[in-house]
Amino acid sequence: MTSQEEQITRIRVTYAKGPSLRFIGHLDLQRLWERLLRRSGLPIRYSQGFNPRARLNLASALPLGVVSEAELLDFWLDEAVPVGAVAKTLSQNSLPGLEIKAVQSVSLREKALQEQMAASDYEIQFYDPQPQAELAEKVAALLAAKELPRVRRKKSYDLRPLILDVEVFIRGDGELGLRMRLNAAPSATGRPDEVLEALGFSNTEYLACRTGLILEGESAPLPS
Amino acid sequence: MPSSPSTSLSSKSEALFRRVERILPTVTKPGRYVGGELNQVVKPWESVQTHVALVFPDIYDLGQSNLGIALLYDILNAQEGVAAERAFSPWLDMETALRENDIPLYSLENKRALADFDILGISLPYETLYTNFLTILNLAHLPLRSADRDDSHPLIVAGGQSVFNPEPVAPFVDAFVIGEGEEAILDVVQAHQAWRQSGGSREALLAALAAIPGVYVPSLYEVAYQADGTVASVTPSHPNAALPVQKRITAKLPPPLTHFLVPNVEVVQERVSVEIMRGCTRGCRFCHAGMVNRPIRERPLDEILATLKAGLDQTGYEEVSLLSLSSSDYSQIIPLINGLRDLLQERQVNITLPSLRIESFTEDLMDELQSLSPGGGFTLAPEAGTERLRAVINKPISDEEFMATVRSVYQHGWNSIKLYFMIGHPQETLEDVAAIAELCKAVLNEGRRIVGGRARVHAGISTFIPKPHTPFQWVGFDSLESIQQKLDILHQGLHGAKVKMTWNNPESSLLESWLARGDRRLSDVILRAWQKGARFDAWSDQFNLSHWQDAFAEVGLDPDFYSHRARGLDEMLPWDHIQAGVKKSFLKTDYLWSLQGKIRSDCRGRCYSCGILSAYNELRLVAPDGGWKCP
Repeated sequence: MTSQEEQITRIRVTYAKGPSLRFIGHLDLQRLWERLLRRSGLPIRYSQGFNPRARLNLASALPLGVVSEAELLDFWLDEAVPVGAVAKTLSQNSLPGLEIKAVQSVSLREKALQEQMAASDYEIQFYDPQPQAELAEKVAALLAAKELPRVRRKKSYDLRPLILDVEVFIRGDGELGLRMRLNAAPSATGRPDEVLEALGFSNTEYLACRTGLILEGESAPLPS
Repeated sequence: MPSSPSTSLSSKSEALFRRVERILPTVTKPGRYVGGELNQVVKPWESVQTHVALVFPDIYDLGQSNLGIALLYDILNAQEGVAAERAFSPWLDMETALRENDIPLYSLENKRALADFDILGISLPYETLYTNFLTILNLAHLPLRSADRDDSHPLIVAGGQSVFNPEPVAPFVDAFVIGEGEEAILDVVQAHQAWRQSGGSREALLAALAAIPGVYVPSLYEVAYQADGTVASVTPSHPNAALPVQKRITAKLPPPLTHFLVPNVEVVQERVSVEIMRGCTRGCRFCHAGMVNRPIRERPLDEILATLKAGLDQTGYEEVSLLSLSSSDYSQIIPLINGLRDLLQERQVNITLPSLRIESFTEDLMDELQSLSPGGGFTLAPEAGTERLRAVINKPISDEEFMATVRSVYQHGWNSIKLYFMIGHPQETLEDVAAIAELCKAVLNEGRRIVGGRARVHAGISTFIPKPHTPFQWVGFDSLESIQQKLDILHQGLHGAKVKMTWNNPESSLLESWLARGDRRLSDVILRAWQKGARFDAWSDQFNLSHWQDAFAEVGLDPDFYSHRARGLDEMLPWDHIQAGVKKSFLKTDYLWSLQGKIRSDCRGRCYSCGILSAYNELRLVAPDGGWKCP
């Protein structure tokens, strides 16, 4: 290992994607991050080749329309910079709706973030108030189902094993919402809109928020 | 003001956007409709006196790339008491969703209905946006015709390159800014503010606007026609209405952008752009931009480089671009390229340098360009296939000179050359067209000799459209049959040769030829075509000629009158009351020269009295350092 390679640092950012960015898709978000990193002036590690690009790694694509309080992203620096300074310059150069919540340095040897993904937690806020008994009944029926055959991009699959948990809860504003934990392993990712559709809701009836990403080996109770 | 004291304004926009949010998951690319970008300017609604919505009548992806809108946004938002917000055309699915849910078109910043604004500033850089402009007014729930709007409606102001002939859209617009808008827009806002304070009628506002230099208020002019359909007279009906209306220019190039907005969704141009020069002295006879943007004014080198650096810092973009009609004519081009090279090494960015002129190439310039190691192809625009026809259109490049440039391009490391040509020029013969194919093949052969099998040639063929305020404003547009025959000749001529050829749909060019030289009566055809469903006419997959043909028939106007008919040199043209700086007598002489194949050289060396200096000399005197390149 040369001394230069010893300096390489892997940085993990936890960030929120707010309502003003909820209709910005995954590829666009990736470009916004590349620009944010360029603006930050940090010694970003670039890919080699004709068109060098910042090397970055987003944990899990957030479905269009969903906001998030806890997205994860890794990028690499060519030289060590104190994480406090990284957090500061990222916040200063960020864009509206993208809030830097935590910055840490992680081992270079960790697997890619996408490969570490285990599950995602979501909270659902309905635009119109929902009657409790009916909602609870729908959720109970969903969880009781042995299988939930569905079609995504012309491929049949079973939604049921992708649902780890769903529960009805009372939100701060007194209205009913849903909390759910969905599988997010690389080959088996559940999407909140598919669960909501299985419950009989179209994507124009609610706002979904991702509240947490769970990496493999982590165990966290569904927040309450 | 059209707001009642009982509803708070911010809750009004929240209520609107709450309804919008419900339809967004159902449309494609919803990120176009939400704003919220880095460097967007959102002023609290109640905190400003005058609200201006800047509207580009095509989708966000195109409009947000438009530097003109960005400049006006910057200029207006720098003013206290003024807020500029943005709106673009919704794509067809969003238009349907807005209609079905009865949601008015709104601004991206405060999410306010466009009808709540004081002024809508409509950008019309090309004619094929006219139907989208009507869609915008309609989705804003505004009457389409100026005559049907009153004090409760926003003032509709339009500007941009196509309004040098404002007549086809005159009935829909309250006031046009003819020429450069950077200073005029502030005068318009000021007149609006004074009118609000005085509490006068809408007529009083229009009269006040007409008194501003460069502002044309079409309702204050009566147009009469001859029996043959040509214009008989244009008569002002108000003392403030100037005749002619002289275009507005700024004494020196206005300051470059200070705030670069960074779109969240992908748009067509994602780079830091700076205008290095405005105007062109070459005098190509087909070129609208070259005639109406005179005089030529250059931006100082240090200002260009400082702007690019600031832009890169603010945006994090990976690319910069220099804008002008003829970059290689910039007098400091070599120092500029040196500066760009430093920037490139420092920041790992790419550079695009469009509009290089064959005539202004030197070996030095090629050496410098090579040092930028640009990827991709090299673009040259001979525009015609023979020396004879290039003399007619006043783009005098000898075949020898052209091939020398081609050789130099390949020798300096480029493998791919893109060539722009037009067909349908006045006095064009089929031999001139066949020569285009021969020239392309000669270029490819030269490339193969120098770089071998990697050599590529791409021919981009467009159709000549006679434009107002040019020496060719009198000539007829080629017939569709003739254009098709010429395209066939090119296909045959290039058959088997490894030259890639792309071309414009001749029917789209036909539409442009109607709209470019239309009169006020043509507005009925535009309205009728729009009612029939004409939308996004600039999009080849949306354009539908039959809407337009039917509209002409129903309105009772002859389309050929506008397109194919050659105008008499003594005819009164529908845009004669608009003065673009270059005199009609100069254009006429230049047209007569074209008939003799007589060349008018670049006027940086000698002045041909086109009319600019006599009309704007005072302006030049107040800004002696304005970078004018008139002799």
